[in-house]
Amino acid sequence: MSLEEQQSDEPAELESGVSRGDELADLLGDLVVGREEHMNAPGLVIRPDEVQDALFKLRDEAGFDHLSCVTAQEYEDRYESIYHLTKFDDRTDEVSVVVPTSKDNPVSQSAEPVFRTADWHEREAYDLVGIQYEDHPDLRRILLPETWQGHPLGLDYDQDRPQIATLREHANPLEEDHRAGDSNTMYINIGPHHPATHGVLHVETVVDGEQVVDLDADIGYLHRCEEQMCQQGTYRHQIMPYPDRWDYISAGLLNEWAYARTAEDLADIEVPEYAQIIRTMSAELCRIASHMIALGTFALDVYGDFTAIFMYAMRDREIVQNILEDLTGQRMMFNYFRLGGVVWDLPEPREEFFEKIRDFLDGLPQALEEYHDMITSNEILQARTVGTGVLPPEVAKSYGATGPVARGSGIDYDLRRDDPYGYYDELDWDVVVEDGCDNFSRLLVRMREVEESAKIIQQCVDLLEDWPEDERNIQANVPRTLKPEEDTEIYRAVEGAKGELGIYIRADGTDKPARFKIRSPCFSNLQTLPEMSEGEYIPDMIASLGSLDIVLGEVDR
Amino acid sequence: MSLQAVLPDTISGLLGLEGVLGDIVGGLVGAFLVANIMLIMTAFAGPWAKRKITAAFGDRIAVNRIGPFGLLTIVTDAVRLLSKELIVPEGVDRPAWDLAPMVIPFSALLGFAVIPMGNGIQLADPETGLAFAFAAASIASLGIVMTGYASNNKFSLIGALRAVAANIAYEIPLVITAASVVIFAGSLRMSEIVAVQAEPLLTVAGVTLPTWFAFVNPFAFALFIIANLAEVGRNPFDIPEAPTEIVAGYQTEYSSVYFVLIYLGEFIHIFLGGAIAATLFLGGPAGPVLPGFVWFTIKIWAFFLFTQWARSAVPRLRVDQFLEIGWKGMLVLSFANLVLTAIIVGVIA
Repeated sequence: MSLEEQQSDEPAELESGVSRGDELADLLGDLVVGREEHMNAPGLVIRPDEVQDALFKLRDEAGFDHLSCVTAQEYEDRYESIYHLTKFDDRTDEVSVVVPTSKDNPVSQSAEPVFRTADWHEREAYDLVGIQYEDHPDLRRILLPETWQGHPLGLDYDQDRPQIATLREHANPLEEDHRAGDSNTMYINIGPHHPATHGVLHVETVVDGEQVVDLDADIGYLHRCEEQMCQQGTYRHQIMPYPDRWDYISAGLLNEWAYARTAEDLADIEVPEYAQIIRTMSAELCRIASHMIALGTFALDVYGDFTAIFMYAMRDREIVQNILEDLTGQRMMFNYFRLGGVVWDLPEPREEFFEKIRDFLDGLPQALEEYHDMITSNEILQARTVGTGVLPPEVAKSYGATGPVARGSGIDYDLRRDDPYGYYDELDWDVVVEDGCDNFSRLLVRMREVEESAKIIQQCVDLLEDWPEDERNIQANVPRTLKPEEDTEIYRAVEGAKGELGIYIRADGTDKPARFKIRSPCFSNLQTLPEMSEGEYIPDMIASLGSLDIVLGEVDR
Repeated sequence: MSLQAVLPDTISGLLGLEGVLGDIVGGLVGAFLVANIMLIMTAFAGPWAKRKITAAFGDRIAVNRIGPFGLLTIVTDAVRLLSKELIVPEGVDRPAWDLAPMVIPFSALLGFAVIPMGNGIQLADPETGLAFAFAAASIASLGIVMTGYASNNKFSLIGALRAVAANIAYEIPLVITAASVVIFAGSLRMSEIVAVQAEPLLTVAGVTLPTWFAFVNPFAFALFIIANLAEVGRNPFDIPEAPTEIVAGYQTEYSSVYFVLIYLGEFIHIFLGGAIAATLFLGGPAGPVLPGFVWFTIKIWAFFLFTQWARSAVPRLRVDQFLEIGWKGMLVLSFANLVLTAIIVGVIA
């Protein structure tokens, strides 16, 4: 955190010779009290009472319109909030705004007035680490029960202390008998056990007749301390199984890639080209499987019963699952990626495996046509989804919505293209964008993305088939124990099935991360639900929730 | 004047009973028979046929373990459902909450009293037969309101309100469309409506089409079927239940036997809808070769199959769109149909 400490190997060196960090520091002027260097971006240290000024300037004058993540952590001598900023137009242009606060008064200004997405991110930081955010509209715990004592990711947290969590937070805030009252609204708990919440989501809804007046998504029922568990595992082997359990709806490999990419950049590991192609192919298979489920469950939310579309989607997803099982030996918790490559080569006999994938790809257009016949061209479904759950692009950006949700709102943003990794930039495919901003657009985006993924897989299979036998290098040389240098910090993201899945790691010189922060796309996407639903009917709220395609395992981590 | 002796008379005649005693015994035995016919059909429809049909639409197999084609599932399901614990939530409004599961199936059964099922199976044939059938079927709405209001559950309440809104919006087009048939037939008596449809309409290549009102006025038939779908609450009109929105609507709090009774009511209601449609538009039990009762059964099962098809393949409308279609579309169309029919009938006759 020393002032003006310049590093010569700065990643974003500009043509003029002035680094990106200097340029941004000049823009902010006196607001910058120090400089840091993260591996992905320059870090600007800001006083805790000037956060909003700095972020407003960066957003309005430098164009950093995407608050990707807020990381909070506790050091021996201070608390720190890091705002990972980037741009929807240029994902590689990143800056980290570092806000240290003192131990005895951990109060920092909230970023919520600048970026709406900071609302939940800062609540999580408050909940898990214990930093207080001034000016925050609603600083409550988010993952843990309101009655929780202490902040579990803080340094002095006592895990053995018994916790008493009451059911108070689920009590109906209205009178049991409100015949005497003159209110016209009704409070309903939709979830945590409800047919349409796709898991243990609790939506506290206030309705006026059939219309949603106010809603608040209550999450945390599936919080499994994933960040903490990753902080207790070694980089080399012990962390990789966890990502499979975040977005567990068949997106496992996409999640694994998020960790693989971050850790490989952190430890400077080069992945062999052959392994990258395998990764790209298998990750896209996962994307297809995940989008199939999204399609099926969305149809279910609109159709109502366990009907044909859901079963058709499951049937086609099953083929993908079988291919993935052949490849990884698993159907859900793949654990197939390793730092520096993948765990093993394609299954023998290879021809049979390729044949299987080709058969699937050949049948896919017909299957998609069937879906279009039954879903997208159905007039009732159009009446239900077109123009409902509207999420304007500006709002989506402010909430940090990514993935199909952002692309359904006309935001041309896909990390596979904008911040290339793997083998994507060598292949021929398109980013799917729809301008409708409604439930129908999000549905269309997913269906069209399946086609694009199929294109990518096709090209990967062609490449893999012709790959010389003696050059099939699936794994780089990686030391048995990885110990990245102390105080190296990195934030890297990949395009998961639901959007930008990012990971922040701070190394402390040991073989385990000192801080492991997961930026879950579902977490940010779910925040947009009130924007889409307030004033709409209950059925539209359910449809919007379905179109967000959240997985509670990833929302709660 | 009845064209054919009704079932109670036949029974008392067979038993050789006369007068009031004959009426009572004949009536009770006849009612017992008709009710059991419908209950047996429902037993096939609920635990077995519905599963098989839905599975066929979704590329699945469904029940196939117990008995041929899984048919004995009906028995095991009956045992399972009857032996489940009946959970009575705190705060339910007791007499109403307990009565509702009886009102719903019995109102639907009551409607079958005037339906001619062929082969002389008809309990009564009053002059106001059609009006009675609609009136009896509508009592189910009362039962639904009771479930929704007495359950002390918000999802139930919303479901019941939706059900009532749906019933009001679609009952009117349903009855008005039926009235256009009455204008043709010139009678509300079920047996006469059936008899009128027996006359030949036209002969094409040696095949004589009867004057079934579905052939005479297909538009009214389509209207009637759509309104009927809304009446029995199946997709795209399954608004009152809407599982993904309001859990299970008015039946959310019901379990065990009460649940079975409500579901039974729903299925009998579907069959009653099919029976009224068959009587009004498809010549009742009429049909070639096979006996009347078989044709009647085929017709009401065809309607059942149709509702299950719609359930599997058609998305659900939103509640406001649903009511909009009812009030702004169906109502206007059904009155237009009625007026047109009246003019045509008036000019011809």
